Amino acid sequence: MKHLSLLAVGLMFSAGVLAGVADQISVQDAYVRLAPPNAPATGAFMVIRNNGDKDAKVLRADNPASKITELHTHLNEGGVMKMRPVASIEVKAKGEAVLKPGGLHVMMIDLKAAMKEGDVVPITLSFDDGSSKQVDARVVRPMAAGMPAMEHKH
Amino acid sequence: MSERILIFIAATLALLIAGVALMWQPEMPERPLPSAAIAAGGDFTLQSASGPVSLSDFRGKLVLLYFGYTYCPDVCPTSLAATAEGLKQLKPEEVARVAMIFVSVDPKRDTPERLKEYAEFFHPAMVGATGAPEVIAEIAKRYGVFYAEQKVETSGGGYVVDHSSDTFIVGTDGQLVGKMVHATPPDQVVVAIRKYLKIN
Repeated sequence: MKHLSLLAVGLMFSAGVLAGVADQISVQDAYVRLAPPNAPATGAFMVIRNNGDKDAKVLRADNPASKITELHTHLNEGGVMKMRPVASIEVKAKGEAVLKPGGLHVMMIDLKAAMKEGDVVPITLSFDDGSSKQVDARVVRPMAAGMPAMEHKH
Repeated sequence: MSERILIFIAATLALLIAGVALMWQPEMPERPLPSAAIAAGGDFTLQSASGPVSLSDFRGKLVLLYFGYTYCPDVCPTSLAATAEGLKQLKPEEVARVAMIFVSVDPKRDTPERLKEYAEFFHPAMVGATGAPEVIAEIAKRYGVFYAEQKVETSGGGYVVDHSSDTFIVGTDGQLVGKMVHATPPDQVVVAIRKYLKIN
């Protein structure tokens, strides 16, 4: 019995922790770029909004479609594009982090199976306080730079 | 204030900004890059899935040239998709006068077959080609293209390739005439293609 109550307290406690930063976060326009055939990797893009009044950091992303998931950014140095892993993506209080082609993105490496347009990939973002949020990202064929087909809202 | 003075001030500012933009050399932590402004370009022969392909095969057409690699997860797809989208906006008689070659700077991993599949994913008329490392290096030098392998443990095969991300424009006479920066939007691609088709 004692164990059970401990467990219950533990569960409540972890639920409390889980409902942290993630509750203040909203994510818009999440999509995964349809990778060319045989391409081993692709990127997921989204706008992460922090509605809270505390800065937040995304420390990790996970998804079931690729063996490895990393946070990456690009540096454009004199026209040479360099892609590099980053330790975290900061989302300032009342601000947003824009993950877009040529910039920050969730890198999906070693895709387990070929994707097709319209598939939905659940991406879990984990924040610096241990809370996490799942985002459903639809697979979109790359159209114009940074403009998935569904985003034609002018 | 008269309009003329305003225009003068605006022009001066514009010149200043352009000057700063041109002269501005941010601190480069690594080796300096070759300047692409003096690129000579010129003919080359590479291998595609359907045999050798030379730039001179496309004489009479405007050729768009992009140097990348198929393991490229974001930069190449972004540029190639935007360029392909631009091609799709052209009139049929215009498209007939344009060719596009995707040159892999990663011949270790990119076979001609793999490149064909990759290039055609973006546009049916896009040709994928590569060659021996020394051939690629020599062409890159002539076009002012920089590329370098960077060890990244997790990126399929253990490395990514940093590479120049401009799309080169070769005139109908085979001369290098210009380039478009990374992720030039489709409508700008159309404008650039039409401009050079007119000149030629």
